[in-house]
Amino acid sequence: MTTTTASFAYTSTTWPVLDRMAAAHRRSWKMLAAPGEWWTGAERISIAAECRRASARVDGLPDPGPGPAELPEAAVFAIHKLIGDLPNVTRDWYDETISAEGMSDAHYIELLGVVVHIWSVDEFHRALDIDLEPLPEPLAGEPTQIRPTGAKAHGSWPPTVWPDDLDERDADIYGGADRAANVRAAMSLHPDSVRWLTDLFDAHYLSWIEIQAVQEPFRVLTRPQRELVAARVSALNECFY
Amino acid sequence: MLRESSQRSGTIDNLNLQGTVNPDADSGVPQGSLLTAFAEAAVRQTDALPGLRDQIVSELGVQELVDAAGVVANFQRMVRIADGCGIPLDEFTKDATDDVRDELGIHEYASAANTA
Repeated sequence: MTTTTASFAYTSTTWPVLDRMAAAHRRSWKMLAAPGEWWTGAERISIAAECRRASARVDGLPDPGPGPAELPEAAVFAIHKLIGDLPNVTRDWYDETISAEGMSDAHYIELLGVVVHIWSVDEFHRALDIDLEPLPEPLAGEPTQIRPTGAKAHGSWPPTVWPDDLDERDADIYGGADRAANVRAAMSLHPDSVRWLTDLFDAHYLSWIEIQAVQEPFRVLTRPQRELVAARVSALNECFY
Repeated sequence: MLRESSQRSGTIDNLNLQGTVNPDADSGVPQGSLLTAFAEAAVRQTDALPGLRDQIVSELGVQELVDAAGVVANFQRMVRIADGCGIPLDEFTKDATDDVRDELGIHEYASAANTA
């Protein structure tokens, strides 16, 4: 099921979802529907739909069905691996995936960006037993295929762009900081995914500025409570980072 | 980060980091056991989830429940970025947390081979 407008109105739930969260979720759906650098809008919707299929498979729920565009076989496999078999994602698997037909390192990073953000919004809904938002209708347009010129090997599997190497069009992605944590730079081969990450990270957790600040953030749970939940989720996923 | 913020908060006398990996261990963070139980139920989508929602609302408040759901959702995303890209540990993090990673058995995770 798709929709032309994302509401995220949260009128049918008893939980007081913050405006900040609802607005970020609406922006997520807008980002999802638009053509990216390496995938069309329809393909991005299909990535999101496949993400939901993978999640349903993990939870033993009925298959919600595919999206509007056909995806390369390696892309479909990657989505299911990222959702349901994360501890077994390896360098060899990554190399094989980006070498497959219809894929590249940039395709993979944009796909990862769609998967993790849609998954995250859906996980928020599942945690609160709120119905999932219908996926949006794709917007027309072709991928730009613009690759950051400053992308280099920095230790992550995909090349990343450090602040000093940003192209002018992407100068905003680290908020002007002269350093970026590896997890923040991880998807910089697709700069819009870094923008998306920053937006949703702020809405769900803390802003990057709050992360570095000494004082207690103006949030509901305390910083130690937030960090405990964060650490527990990481441990449950057996995430070393 | 939890170790550092706990010291700064002044509200936690005995932080026990085993509470991050062991559901039976009390972290020392106020309402920490309830919050980690909620996180586990949300990640695993277990039958305990509805009751834990109610318990958080009762013991902490409804805004705290929504906030906790946001933190869970955030880190369901972050772990996939980290493990999906095989990112290396930042030098500062590596130096500051090596002992804790040993103590908690985090070096045994499969993803340690990708990240270290």
